[in-house]
Amino acid sequence: MYPPKLNNIINLFETLPEVERRETLVSYADAAKKQEPKPGEQFKLEDVRKDEECADTVGVYLHVDDEGKAHFRMTLGSEVQTLTRAMTAILCKGLDGATPQEILDLPSDFVTRIVGEQLVRVRSQTTYYILTRMKGICKVYLDRQRRMAASAA
Amino acid sequence: MNLQTSYAHPEALVETDWLAEHLNDDGIRIVESNEDILLYDTGHIPGAVHIDWRSDLQDPLVRDYISPEKFAEVCSRNGITPETTCIFYGDKANWWATYALWAFRLFGHEKVKVLNGGRDKWKAEGRPSSREVPKYPRTNYPVPPKRYDAEIRAFAEDALKQSKSAKPLIDVRSPGEFRGEITHMPEYPQEGVLRGGHIPGAKSVPWKTAANDDGTFKSAEELAKIYLEGCGVSSENDTIVYCRIGERSSHTWFVLTYLLGIDNVRNYDGSWTEWGNRVGMPIERGT
Repeated sequence: MYPPKLNNIINLFETLPEVERRETLVSYADAAKKQEPKPGEQFKLEDVRKDEECADTVGVYLHVDDEGKAHFRMTLGSEVQTLTRAMTAILCKGLDGATPQEILDLPSDFVTRIVGEQLVRVRSQTTYYILTRMKGICKVYLDRQRRMAASAA
Repeated sequence: MNLQTSYAHPEALVETDWLAEHLNDDGIRIVESNEDILLYDTGHIPGAVHIDWRSDLQDPLVRDYISPEKFAEVCSRNGITPETTCIFYGDKANWWATYALWAFRLFGHEKVKVLNGGRDKWKAEGRPSSREVPKYPRTNYPVPPKRYDAEIRAFAEDALKQSKSAKPLIDVRSPGEFRGEITHMPEYPQEGVLRGGHIPGAKSVPWKTAANDDGTFKSAEELAKIYLEGCGVSSENDTIVYCRIGERSSHTWFVLTYLLGIDNVRNYDGSWTEWGNRVGMPIERGT
């Protein structure tokens, strides 16, 4: 149901008591900077913007390889909240290698299993934002592919 | 009018350099309260405890604060007694710190202070940070006999009465929210309120008016000009402050109550998310 890498992360978080869950989220948040684009990397699509749903600018960079698998890079402004940083690192890792269609079709119920019901309840907007942005760029990519296929036919 | 040249209650503020020298003092508890729910976990002032404005201080079901029994439990598990001086600090120039302080005052806890400049100033000065969650011996905080709602908290009916009697009513939201162009502060989701605008007769004084760029509070003289001269606030009149959910107005409530020493200031915590949704409430738009 979920991409294998994401499934592993979900399984890990579900075994953690609340304190360790928060510590692990913070560890992922610390690692979010590693998801920034590297010099020389090329992307199919780039979507850098400041939305009302987030405290600062978030950039999503999508690369789709020759096998049709998605790879993400992300940039986060300094005011982006810790939970959003954590979700960035988790989703970049967990969705790496999935196809854009698989990402678009992904149900969002796994977020609660990672973040925990309490954090989702008190900060629901924050927890879903990054997933929404990643799905959004996949949709644009797929729409573009379909248009190109239609015009070629 | 003679304007104030010093804070009415300077003891309600501590500076970062003072706190750095008194981290291990007996009788104090440093309390962090943030908008960013995981910020405390990323590192906090050594010895600080975390009290979340929502999960610790609000009732999970009813839109209200916790009961006196639950407040006693929050204090007891954080090693706080009625004699403990709680020093509040947090992100966003202390919005949530002053909100937590105000909530502590609702339960009659009197020994409260704010770290001037909050978390950002502490961090900007390169002061120590720790991820270690401190453990304090559990205390037995007595259940407060009552909640002081009537003294420092306003409800919608109080705000309506204030509006009709043309007494000081201060809207501390951003100008766009006051004018009714948006229903949340800029950069935040426009959600949760059906109508935009302000309570008739309210004066727009955004919370930021009281703060310097580094999040510290402006001088007593500057604050007196803004609120005493500019808004006609005085101890002779009741004053009600409000925002969207009560956190930004807690900042202004702290300024009026502790820094300017105004009596009878109440925070309308239902604020715009109640007023802008409630059937039949009068609303003004524009400046």
